[in-house]
Amino acid sequence: MVFEFELPDVGEGVAEGEIVAWHVEVGDRVEEDQVLAEVETDKAVVDLPSPVDGVILELHAEEGEIVAVDSVVVTIDVDGEEGAAEEEPSEEAESPVEAEQTPATDEADPTSVPEGRVFAPPNVRRLARELGVDIGTVEGTGPSGRITEDDVRAADAGDESAVVEQREEDPADDTAETTTPSSIGTSQPAESAERDRTLAAPATRRVAKEEGIDLNAVPTEKTRNGEAFVEEADIHAYAEAQQAAQKADATGADKADETARITTEPYRGVRRTIGQRMEQSVYTAPHATHHDTAEVSALVDARTELKGRAEAADVSLTYMPFVMKAIVAGLKEYPVLNTELDEENEEILYKHYYDIGIAVATDAGLMVPVVENVDEKGLLELAAETNDLATRARERKLSPDELQGSTFTITNFGAIGGEYAKPVINYPETAILGLGAIEERPVAVDGEVVARPTLPLSLSIDHRVIDGAEAAQFCNTVIEYLENPMLLLLE
Amino acid sequence: MVVGDVTTGTDVLVIGGGPGGYVAAIRAGQLDLDVTVVEMDSYGGTCLNHGCIPSKALISATDIAHRAREAERMGIFADPAVDMQGMVTWKDRLVTRLTKGVESLCEGAGATVLTGRAEFADENTARVVQAGEGQGAESISFEHAVIATGSRPIEIPNFEFDGEYILSSRDALALDAVPEQLVVVGAGYIGMELATVFQKLGSDVTVLEQLDDALPTYEDDVTDVVVDRAEDLGISFEFATAATDWEETDDGLVVHTETEDGEEDSFEGTKCLVAVGRQPVTDTLNLEAVNIDVDDRGFIDTDGQGRTSLEHVFAVGDVAGEPMLAHTAFAEGEVAAESIAGEPAALDHQAIPAAVFTDPEIGTVGMTEAEAAGAGFDPVVGQMPMRASGRALSLNEREGFVRVVADKETEFILGAQAVAPEASELIAELALAVEMGATLEDVASTIHIHPTLSEAVHEAVKGARGESIHY
Repeated sequence: MVFEFELPDVGEGVAEGEIVAWHVEVGDRVEEDQVLAEVETDKAVVDLPSPVDGVILELHAEEGEIVAVDSVVVTIDVDGEEGAAEEEPSEEAESPVEAEQTPATDEADPTSVPEGRVFAPPNVRRLARELGVDIGTVEGTGPSGRITEDDVRAADAGDESAVVEQREEDPADDTAETTTPSSIGTSQPAESAERDRTLAAPATRRVAKEEGIDLNAVPTEKTRNGEAFVEEADIHAYAEAQQAAQKADATGADKADETARITTEPYRGVRRTIGQRMEQSVYTAPHATHHDTAEVSALVDARTELKGRAEAADVSLTYMPFVMKAIVAGLKEYPVLNTELDEENEEILYKHYYDIGIAVATDAGLMVPVVENVDEKGLLELAAETNDLATRARERKLSPDELQGSTFTITNFGAIGGEYAKPVINYPETAILGLGAIEERPVAVDGEVVARPTLPLSLSIDHRVIDGAEAAQFCNTVIEYLENPMLLLLE
Repeated sequence: MVVGDVTTGTDVLVIGGGPGGYVAAIRAGQLDLDVTVVEMDSYGGTCLNHGCIPSKALISATDIAHRAREAERMGIFADPAVDMQGMVTWKDRLVTRLTKGVESLCEGAGATVLTGRAEFADENTARVVQAGEGQGAESISFEHAVIATGSRPIEIPNFEFDGEYILSSRDALALDAVPEQLVVVGAGYIGMELATVFQKLGSDVTVLEQLDDALPTYEDDVTDVVVDRAEDLGISFEFATAATDWEETDDGLVVHTETEDGEEDSFEGTKCLVAVGRQPVTDTLNLEAVNIDVDDRGFIDTDGQGRTSLEHVFAVGDVAGEPMLAHTAFAEGEVAAESIAGEPAALDHQAIPAAVFTDPEIGTVGMTEAEAAGAGFDPVVGQMPMRASGRALSLNEREGFVRVVADKETEFILGAQAVAPEASELIAELALAVEMGATLEDVASTIHIHPTLSEAVHEAVKGARGESIHY
């Protein structure tokens, strides 16, 4: 019996995953629960275990390919279980075929005109062209099955995985092209494209002409109507790269290296997720950032004192648990910083629990594991839990539910260095606190400048929900707790 | 390039200032493209100068006299005198006003307006031969070009247009006297419109048509209404009759004909109007210099955006093929300009409405019942006769009908045919319905003004749902 294994929802509400690596090949015999592949979802990498014993007949995705949940990823010839054969195929018979075929739809040529009648108003048809959706294939949900804007957007979202797949092939082509010497000059001056056709606004074309640049040689990721599209900034960037390259040529730089001036990396997986989240946050929530500094001599002393005891309990005590506690104290006093804006229902959701996200830099990018119920936990417990989450985040061993549901986030960029920043809110939260490095800095005490350890704070708020005064007041409370860690005893 | 040529550059070169060209130019200007339009004759093209507008002006003017004459039933007794020269002068004035308007709209949109004939020198250069050959030429290098050179009347063998005996539609619209007898060759929409005009002006009109019926692209019950009225006006029709030759006589000319069976006949006339169709104008363009494909009838091949086989060159309007309608040209001109500007435009219109300004008018959009069935729909039809319309009767009109075709199951409106007074206006509502993907219920639930002709649309739609009230 043949079993079509569909990509399960490996996280909570995950729509797609990237096949990071296959652990099996066609022809391999696998046992139930044997790891077939590693799949990277929005934030975590999970193992994909085989649900059956059998032999791999076909792998439906390449490594690096993004696969939609519920589409077939592997076909397994299940070991002779005739009994089961009757139930399963009937259940699976419909979806695999669909799943196999639908994601393969290419992005529609926006200039193409559908054959026959289409029951959609002109604005919807234009939207379809803009999104590259073939309106002829869209299922309508309007009156009598008329196609609406939402239908087109839904169809577009469904196509996304297929589109991403398509792009994946491009980098290979690009490298092939970019190693081809340009027709101008003796050496490849800079990363060039070699298109036959490039779309650009006339003003852009004028700039290209002035710069003496062939539009078809300007690298771009942007497209319009499915064709490469170049903007003025691209031309300037390319022109500069050309000039720099020519200079390098003149100084006898190694020509062979020139093709390595720009290399590409796919914008996918965690990187793409981070990008999308940042874009959503910054374009949704108007950010305002408040800066202040805590003089933390007392905190440094307290931590030094407690560190030994913590080590005895095999816990490395950082400043983070203190900060988390101080934040909870601030959130309790100013609950508006522990909220979420529900735009649809026009409500501000106040959260009466304190799950703090800790932004962690990993090789793969930014991750935000969540420490739950911070108000109910002691410093040691928090230290142990934070360390564990951070470690596993760097190893990419976190499960998706450990990366969800924070109510307030801390970003500790100071661990790497720096004083102030403008943190981007972990949307849909409404506030994020950035920590600078604790260092000795000049502080005025009784009319004299003395060196004291200080902790610079950068608090970004969603100004739709929180006002600057509340941000400042919250910071004052946090600073009060950080400067007087004894207060934590009262918590 | 010829020595002495002046070269200028432009983003978009529009060749021809008719409906396709001037709209492309204005739209491109609105989109901040640098546009140059070259027109070798008058702005507004055939439509404004020798087609739509002058013919509608004459039709309307003639109708005023005709209706006054025929209003005895309404208690009006009159015999208006028609000064043909006066009518043509009035028509020429309004045409001039409109062409000036088009030119200033182009300039207002930032387009450079040139007079001359543009021909391709290579794929990115055109030469503009200024009015009056030998006046020198200007070369224009362009990023994109829009060919909008339009069409001209087709000549048939032995009937070369001379403007005196053998008239094109263009000549007929500029006559300064009403011919006593007029032979019209061709019963297409131009032949039918002009035959009606001249019959109403007092000519004795004979229409010769090679096919078996007038207006062959329309359904029989639609054309019957028009042909019956034309015959009532006194027009005589000779179907299945081909004009083979003509000769001058003392009073004008005689047109010789032959039927398929070889039966010969002849018809006398003061003048002969030949209106057998239109052909694309491409011979002015020096198309040999560029690689642009044309079809076997000489129309330029284009894609869903109006792009020719040469990617940066577009063709719009009559030169790009059927349907040769000014409003099609408008739409194509806009799409071409938007495409050049990088917008996701496309000619994805669900239907192109069309009108014939006969008496009564014909207006159609989308599918006929037969076409709907052929396209796989299960058509349902609703029809409202004009004799049941209070407004039609109060206009002293009773002929014709409005018919709507819809899909039975979904009630999507697929098409409509109207042969009725103001059918050209009535069809606009149903064109919107077709374009929007509206259902019968959408239109049936829309309140229509009483008493108007548009109620006939409402009733036809309700009829298709089995819910007629007034019929």
